[in-house]
Amino acid sequence: MTIAVCIKWVNYSGPVESDTPDERFAGFSFADQAALEWALRIAEKSADEVLVLTAGPVGAEAVLRDALSRGAHRAVRIDIDLTSDSSVIARSLVGAMSQARMVWCGDYSNDRGSGSVPSFIAAELNIDQALGLVALELPENANASFTAVRRLDGGRREQLLISGPAVLSVEGSTIRLRRASLKNTMSASKQEIQVITATGDRVETPALRPYRPRPRVTLAPIGLTALERVKHITDTSSSKGHGETVHAEPSVAATLILESLRKWGYLP
Amino acid sequence: MTDADIIVVGAGPAGSCAAIAAARSGKRVVLIERGPFPGSKNMYGGVIYPRILDELIPQWFETAPIQRWVIRRSTMVLSDTGALNIDYRSNAWGQAPYNGATAYRPDFDNWLAQQAVAAGADLICSTTVTGLLRDDQGRVCGVSTDRPDGDLTASVVIACDGVNSFLAKQAGLYPNANADNYTLGVKETLSLSKHIIDERFGVRDNQGVDIEILGGTSGVNGGGFIYTNLDTIAVGVVLKLSKLSAQKKRPEDIIAELKRHPAIAPLVEGGEVVEYSAHLIPEAGLEMMPKMVADGLLIAGDAAALCLAAGIWLEGVNFAMASGMYAGQSASAAIDASNVSAASLKSYTNRLNETFVLQDHKKLRKIPHLVLSDRVQHRYPAFVTGVVERMFRVDNPTPKPGVRRIVREERKKAGIKLSELVRDALTGLKGFG
Repeated sequence: MTIAVCIKWVNYSGPVESDTPDERFAGFSFADQAALEWALRIAEKSADEVLVLTAGPVGAEAVLRDALSRGAHRAVRIDIDLTSDSSVIARSLVGAMSQARMVWCGDYSNDRGSGSVPSFIAAELNIDQALGLVALELPENANASFTAVRRLDGGRREQLLISGPAVLSVEGSTIRLRRASLKNTMSASKQEIQVITATGDRVETPALRPYRPRPRVTLAPIGLTALERVKHITDTSSSKGHGETVHAEPSVAATLILESLRKWGYLP
Repeated sequence: MTDADIIVVGAGPAGSCAAIAAARSGKRVVLIERGPFPGSKNMYGGVIYPRILDELIPQWFETAPIQRWVIRRSTMVLSDTGALNIDYRSNAWGQAPYNGATAYRPDFDNWLAQQAVAAGADLICSTTVTGLLRDDQGRVCGVSTDRPDGDLTASVVIACDGVNSFLAKQAGLYPNANADNYTLGVKETLSLSKHIIDERFGVRDNQGVDIEILGGTSGVNGGGFIYTNLDTIAVGVVLKLSKLSAQKKRPEDIIAELKRHPAIAPLVEGGEVVEYSAHLIPEAGLEMMPKMVADGLLIAGDAAALCLAAGIWLEGVNFAMASGMYAGQSASAAIDASNVSAASLKSYTNRLNETFVLQDHKKLRKIPHLVLSDRVQHRYPAFVTGVVERMFRVDNPTPKPGVRRIVREERKKAGIKLSELVRDALTGLKGFG
């Protein structure tokens, strides 16, 4: 089986924007490096091959050779315009990673993109996703399930049990990528890199709309003059006609409340 | 079988030229660079004279990443407030086959290393060579690196690991390293628009200027320089290491003082510092050169102290490229002859002796010490500018003094004995003549 690692080649020219980015400063993020290291560690305990993929022009092959020198078995470059939609890039990556039982990605790239490619990959493969992992505990048996800790908003953490095929994205702090041996560095420079031209199709995802509450009917203010009507709206001391205090059993009271809400337009 | 025929350590000008020459003779060459790409560790800010590349890369000037072709060369002598400037301009230097050029070495070195890769050399970056491997007979047979499983064997190692070469020292080829033989080059790169540089320095398009300065180093023996790039200028000083240390001065303060000099300030005004760097320079020429050959080992470039600092001639990259090329050729020939002993590799030093590389150094062997001597550094600038000041000053109604009288009086004022002046003049004539 294959363990796929998706790394994003970023032609990073430093904090100063340049019209002519210099590929000598290109590379991949610490998060991507951590993803590669986790994949290599799992592969060492199993018979899996590590397939490393990236999207971009010929210059992007430098990061693939770097990954090969550190122990990846095979490399694929997706020849695609890097300004393409994340879903397009994800579909192209998935098309090149047949039979991958696990997909590792970095949680962020050097250009701090949207971080959406891992999700699109999971949607395309129709497998689970565990994104934004900050800690992992690999088992002795590479095929056994293992636990991972995921970062949530507000400093919260979520513990996940990874037991089947999944897309995982990790933060750079989880592990440090190994240094390549000299022999591997030399052989990687001659290793073949498969190049696949992107299809350009988008990943179809379920249609989703943002949450929007139903409109509430508001009664027109009462009054002959504008002043009276404004006073009706703004004067908190006067009664709006809504509100009634009743003393009843809970079930009766609930029925009265629902009736009032329907009457005032808050409920259908 | 060895991992490679030839290992070249350092992908600077010497290393890349060695790799090009060796790879073209069909050898398996590994070029090892400690930086993430060739030139990434470089701080150079001078003029490159790439004529030697005609032999190695015909029409090199069509593809080399040059900033400006130097068409104006100036030598400036600074006193505290005055400046004497000798300036020569030749527009012919701005056309092929050109003379000298300014370049960003991270670009130039990278370009040169890619020529080596195109010739068939394997370029390995981000790898530091930590030592030499030796066989049972004590001959150099490879290098160890900081990578896991990092030993690499070869028939010949060419050490182009720059000034203060650890490999040459480890091989015992630098028996008497002396701080007096080194200067510290310190440089600021100032950002200025191309339009302003063109106007201030009187050039157009990709024409460039090289200004070498005597004096203006706050009393520390050395010199200054200004070089024009397309939209930056490099301004800096070269300071004798032992004097800088003894006088406890900070190099950045010395550059700041130089930039405030009335003759320099208008040239650098408004420039924003975009880079600051410093580097050792092997400045003593022939006197500090190590033995360049050992069994299985050659030394080239700055590692072999092949840097010419002779006042009006300040050259290093051309010596590095030439020595690297000859080292690559000699190593290949020795491997073809199945004899990589020091005796066989001696063809390298023979080649250096036959060419400008060592002939220039021999001819000018006394000049570096003369240029950095206390007299030339501290007394002559005041003497020369004093003479010129009085020659051009009009003191009517006082009659003009004779030049001989001015020279005599200014010499005495500067504290220079006639015998010293004659001796220095003879040394200069012998070297430059």
